[in-house]
Amino acid sequence: MFEIRGRIKNRIRPAVLILLVALIPSLGAALWHPKRPSWSRPVAGNEIDLSTAVQWGARVLWVDARPRVEFDRGHIPGAVLLNEDEWDRLLDGFLDAWKRDAFVVVYCSSVSCDASHEVAARLKSEARIENIYVLKGGWETWQAQKK
Amino acid sequence: MAGAKKIIRLLLLAVIGGVFAFAGGVKVLDPASFATDIDHYHLLPWPLIAGVALYLPWLECVCAGALLLKKFRAAALGLMLGMSLVFCAAMVSAAARGLNISCGCFGTGTGHLGLAIARDVLIMAAIAVCLVAEKKRTDSNQM
Repeated sequence: MFEIRGRIKNRIRPAVLILLVALIPSLGAALWHPKRPSWSRPVAGNEIDLSTAVQWGARVLWVDARPRVEFDRGHIPGAVLLNEDEWDRLLDGFLDAWKRDAFVVVYCSSVSCDASHEVAARLKSEARIENIYVLKGGWETWQAQKK
Repeated sequence: MAGAKKIIRLLLLAVIGGVFAFAGGVKVLDPASFATDIDHYHLLPWPLIAGVALYLPWLECVCAGALLLKKFRAAALGLMLGMSLVFCAAMVSAAARGLNISCGCFGTGTGHLGLAIARDVLIMAAIAVCLVAEKKRTDSNQM
């Protein structure tokens, strides 16, 4: 009986030690890592703020949900145009640019516009893409950050 | 024969260690992205996701390092097998729900869920082989 208990102890002790050793750097990361995740969901729903999107770096695929005229006037570098008016024509272009591990961030003009939410919802339901977010504040926020 | 078995066992350990060290290392650099990858599985609430994203990559790295120490090898392999089982279950669940997501196993560009599941099964088989070999080794040492 004691022998079995001793054997179990001998097997479990190193595992517990490994678990504890891993805890030390992760606590450090929780306090000081520049890319540590927030303890609360970044923004309610699938909206994210600009700082979060920028943190994702090259994994972000920007999707501009505004009308073509506004897109031509200016857009986030690398953004793909995909709006409801030209959905069928533009969807192929989006799918060409999309990669499975990309974080798709859709934006429209400002806080008050809904186009980004509509495009995000359509991409989710029709293309069954999960990693879709809406940029809070849209193009206005991007421009304000640039200043 | 025994020499060949030893070489195969060491090679398997090197591959398992390398895979876990790489997977952990990539995610250690960017826990925020890893948290988002975990979130896409829709399996955990957010504060837990943040904790897992901070802890799991380090656990993978420490387990990979522990393979170098004979005393800790069996425990590390056991933990790696446990982690792989959980990863596999999460990926199968995501695939069953038709989620179009990347597995998040190695940070960016980790490809299709089906491939990731197949890779995970192979790793689990390799870990199981090493665990059996490790048990035989410790049993023979005790005799």
